[in-house]
Amino acid sequence: MAETTAAPRARRRPAVARHAGRIALGLPVGLILLFLAAPLVVLAVSSLNPAASLEFPPRGVSLRWYASVLSSPDWSVSFRLSGLLVVMVVATTTVLGTLAAYGLTRGTFPGRRLVEGVALAPLMVPEIIIALGLLYYFQGLGLLNSVPGLWLAHSLVALPFTVRTIMISASRLDPALERAAATLGAGRTRVFLTVTLPLLRPGILAGAVFAAVTSLGEVAVSVLISGANTTTVPVRVFSAVKFELDPSVAAVSTLLMLASVVVMVAVDRMTRLSEAV
Amino acid sequence: MGAARGRLFGVGFVLPAAVFLVLVFLVPLVRVLSLSLHPVDGAGNPLPEFSLVQYQRVFTESFFSQALVSSFQTSLLVTALCLALGYPVAYALSRVPGGALRTLMFVIVLSPLLTSVVVRSYGWVVLLSANGVVNRFLVGTGIADQPLPLLTSYTAVVVSVTHVLLPFAIIPLTTALGGIDPHLRRASQSLGAGPARTFGRVTLPLSLPGVAAACMVVFPLSMGIYITPLLVGGANQPLAGLRVYSQITSVYDYPVAAALSLTLLVLTLVCVAAMGAGFRFWERRNHG
Repeated sequence: MAETTAAPRARRRPAVARHAGRIALGLPVGLILLFLAAPLVVLAVSSLNPAASLEFPPRGVSLRWYASVLSSPDWSVSFRLSGLLVVMVVATTTVLGTLAAYGLTRGTFPGRRLVEGVALAPLMVPEIIIALGLLYYFQGLGLLNSVPGLWLAHSLVALPFTVRTIMISASRLDPALERAAATLGAGRTRVFLTVTLPLLRPGILAGAVFAAVTSLGEVAVSVLISGANTTTVPVRVFSAVKFELDPSVAAVSTLLMLASVVVMVAVDRMTRLSEAV
Repeated sequence: MGAARGRLFGVGFVLPAAVFLVLVFLVPLVRVLSLSLHPVDGAGNPLPEFSLVQYQRVFTESFFSQALVSSFQTSLLVTALCLALGYPVAYALSRVPGGALRTLMFVIVLSPLLTSVVVRSYGWVVLLSANGVVNRFLVGTGIADQPLPLLTSYTAVVVSVTHVLLPFAIIPLTTALGGIDPHLRRASQSLGAGPARTFGRVTLPLSLPGVAAACMVVFPLSMGIYITPLLVGGANQPLAGLRVYSQITSVYDYPVAAALSLTLLVLTLVCVAAMGAGFRFWERRNHG
């Protein structure tokens, strides 16, 4: 076990032992990280293959499949739909999640724990039940194969992430700051908008990212409630993977991955994502 | 703001989300429950009378009951694998100093989490297909004479589900390991304990809350997962989530799908509650 935080005692251990410890930890960790990265890397690399089948390593480098995806009317409808849903879902879950997380953290009302349990429950409930529940429910309401249906479903799946992330920020918020603003004459609404909300910003941002990523990647529920007119990008990937192995799907997948990496890097600059999870 | 406004403070903030959850989460769940309590006619339409026949089918037909057992076993296996693979990574992450290496490790750990499950499953399909990397390696090195049917195997399901859920284990483990005061390790070593003993007596027990959190996230997710096994293993894998999916999409028998999925839910919640109780018991025993 190599001591990275130079402790005097650890430094006195012989160099050989320290190196052995480092390799004993580093090698398996490296292999596990390789395991984590391998499917994504293989996918990204084989999307560059000019041939009409997926190969790794590819025979050459070409952006042919990207061009084919970006010029395909089917995919572009899906891209627009997924983009629209991300905006709708982020707006909904950020508002609902911020209010709920604040109320749950600061609230004194009875049944608070129960509401918190219900708000976080969609995380614990097997996804197939949510899918079946919404399929059956939306069938009755005529919301199958509709944008509002997908919007409600994605918001439901994303909400627990948002609530949990913002609750972490809310629990670190010092009530004295709000009291100070109130003492200085600010009304309740003004205190919330000018003191509370800015202090919750890191949690809200992280929550918004989780909501965006969840909506962008949601398949488990969408597969059952979407239809021919409402095929989101991941649902189209899902059906393509089920039926054929076309490199254009690898190109779309790579674009989806790039989107999430961009989102993650952007957020990592604003807040520490690792703390928020 | 605050206490002065009495016992009901906060209700107004929670109300919109509560209304949303009732309408989009609880009502559908109750509808599923009521759906599961009705028999069906020959065409699969629910009949009005009350009956437990769907649950009887779930528990007596091995097509369903075996799938529940298999989901449970698979989830235990996947949870154990996620802990075994996640712990060293989390340990390294909590010890590696800030900088490029740490950022790279975080990107590798978090990027699968932020990538659609369908994309990650597709990556495994590409890796494991007949002319995929794994098969070419096996044939090239002479381990196998011909490409193996990896894609439809149970092993492929376990491997890909573990891959999908591993980041959910690494994150709570990293948080727990990172929260351990390094002075405690040093104190242990200066009192004469070797690295192995320090790990076993100090680091491991203190990281237990992270282990508990990892189990309680990975296990329920694994119980309900169906997209990854479907894409990697095919629709015939004996998992409860897949059985529900095929009942919905090919047999159109919603009532039995409802009964099976609710049984799966109850099984999941009971297991999570048991895990929680187990970990609390262990904590109490360790810390008086």
